[in-house]
Amino acid sequence: MSAAKLERLLNLTALLLNTPRPLSAQEIRDRIEAYPPDLAAFRRAFERDKDALRAMGFPLEVAEVPGTAHPVDGYRIPKDRYYLRDPGLTPEELAALRLASTVVRLEGVGSSADEGLLKLGGLVGDTAGPDGPDGPAGLGGGPGLAVAALPGAPDLGPLFGAIASQTPVRFAYRGEDRIVDPYRLDYRRGRWYLSGFDHLRAAERLYRLDRFESRIEALAGPRFERPSTSVPGGQLEPWQLGEGDPIEALVLVDAPQAPWVAQHLGREAVVEERPDGAVVVTMTVTNRDNFRSFVLTFLEHAEVLAPPEVRADVVRWLGALAGSGTAA
Amino acid sequence: MSDPAGGAAAEAPAPVHRTTASDRFLRLLTVVPWIAGQDGPRIAEVCERFGMSRKQLLDDLQVIPLVGLPPYTPDTLIDVTIEGDRVWLRFADVFARPLRLTPEQGLALVAAGAAWRDLPGADAAGPLATALDKVAAVLDVDPDEAVSVALGNTPPGLLDTLRTAVSERRRARIDYYAYGRDQRSLRDVDAYGVFAEEGAWYLRAFCHQAGGERLFRVDRIYGADLLDATFVPPATAGTGTRPHGTEVFTPGPEVPRVTLELAPAARWVVETYPVEQVEEREDGGLRVRLAVSAKPWLERLLVRLGPDARVVDADDEGLRHAGADAARRLLARYREQH
Repeated sequence: MSAAKLERLLNLTALLLNTPRPLSAQEIRDRIEAYPPDLAAFRRAFERDKDALRAMGFPLEVAEVPGTAHPVDGYRIPKDRYYLRDPGLTPEELAALRLASTVVRLEGVGSSADEGLLKLGGLVGDTAGPDGPDGPAGLGGGPGLAVAALPGAPDLGPLFGAIASQTPVRFAYRGEDRIVDPYRLDYRRGRWYLSGFDHLRAAERLYRLDRFESRIEALAGPRFERPSTSVPGGQLEPWQLGEGDPIEALVLVDAPQAPWVAQHLGREAVVEERPDGAVVVTMTVTNRDNFRSFVLTFLEHAEVLAPPEVRADVVRWLGALAGSGTAA
Repeated sequence: MSDPAGGAAAEAPAPVHRTTASDRFLRLLTVVPWIAGQDGPRIAEVCERFGMSRKQLLDDLQVIPLVGLPPYTPDTLIDVTIEGDRVWLRFADVFARPLRLTPEQGLALVAAGAAWRDLPGADAAGPLATALDKVAAVLDVDPDEAVSVALGNTPPGLLDTLRTAVSERRRARIDYYAYGRDQRSLRDVDAYGVFAEEGAWYLRAFCHQAGGERLFRVDRIYGADLLDATFVPPATAGTGTRPHGTEVFTPGPEVPRVTLELAPAARWVVETYPVEQVEEREDGGLRVRLAVSAKPWLERLLVRLGPDARVVDADDEGLRHAGADAARRLLARYREQH
């Protein structure tokens, strides 16, 4: 960008931010000397500038200029939609945020985290080197620095925008056109999920972003109300992804796998610790197929204790498989 | 990610990243409010904060005195004063605040903050938690409700121990459950790095039992103790992060292969495991070839798939009946208890 174009865009932004009413193209041309005097050349330059501002996310509003005989388009940038409110971050908070966004990187959004930090007060603090400050979790910088990359998805940004503005979105999913009030984004087991209220189903639903069959379309409104209670988006274990009535299952897991299962399900899931180190865990199941699949990953180191019909279901499944093997 | 720290102390130009036309414009709209809000900050500090070289900043500041509001008289144009190594901006009220965060910028920061804050052992009242609350407030979202990021399960303290092993180059003894082989054992490792990917934490280390560099799933490390011995990582050691797609497990020719016929319901197998050959079948299912480096891994897959998978060919006869054999062992357990 040449210095002249930079100057012109800065003056245009200042003018549109400061004006209390929409300004017509003619008024803008009269005020900003840097525009070419030729009318056709001005039109072209002004169109390019408007496109550039919109592409950069400026809230450029178009409205009729008041008090004109014929309707004339006017332009302004409302201050309340342009100015970033000052969150008042301390240097320590800025540094912590910078460290977090250095070690946990969202992919596919360029250097958005750094650009965001610049707006919030700049890049403060050290992010590398063994002498760097300790991280928020006590995981400092240095050669042991933990790094996590979150895969991007094309619609993550727009979905987050819709969650913040509490406006619905439209997208294709499983062959159907959905209109959804988006509530939250969850990153679980390497994937992004959206939870929200599905207008087609008239119920809360969970969607995998990698299964969207279209880009999302952000709808203008109406603004929806979030449920006052927490959205159950965080519970995404495969055996809970069903519509059946929940059942409580008890699973015995042998000692070698006991620490893993206790950690994976949480200590509160452990209802019994046996002298040999085995544990009995309780699981709330709404999807029996996924539950069976989970228990079978332990091979003969785990078994379903209860309820009896679920145990019988697993035995039937194994019996069919054991019988089929002899014929192959 | 670029290195934004350059260009401050040194005079050499060190841009944050390749600067495009709109980058320069947007950066000015970010730098101007900050300088205007300070009482003559040092030029070096501005450069460091905003990842600019001194030359970039001075070039950009040359444009500023031509910017302002009608009627563009001296008191309505922005006034730039540079004295010694400090800079002042006056009459810049119209640019009193930067442009709001884009959704992508907001999400990148909130997701990173939420991920880090939710790690075991994180300080719930520390600067990151308060920063996250403040940023979420200006974005009009609830930081606990809008985004949650689970990087992977780890017991509290384990990541710290592993990180200490990496940074202090201390040998560590880990109690590890090898899922594929279904074996638990103690291993002495030289830890090179820790990272999270695809929903799990990994440790990259030289394993003295295996005699080579390995990746360990941190959620299968049941315990880790630091030993007195230290190590020097070889120059060829992995750097901690796993670049996407470049480090897929590639078994050699000595590893037996099996061919499976999968029902349509079992198509997920090709999304989850590295398959070497895939053929579509007329019924909507697939025929796939897989390398089996450990038998328990195949047993697990087959008992889970049940009627949805059939072994049609195997390099090793023992693998041909792996599913049925495992099912019989499991059944024996179910019968013995009741």
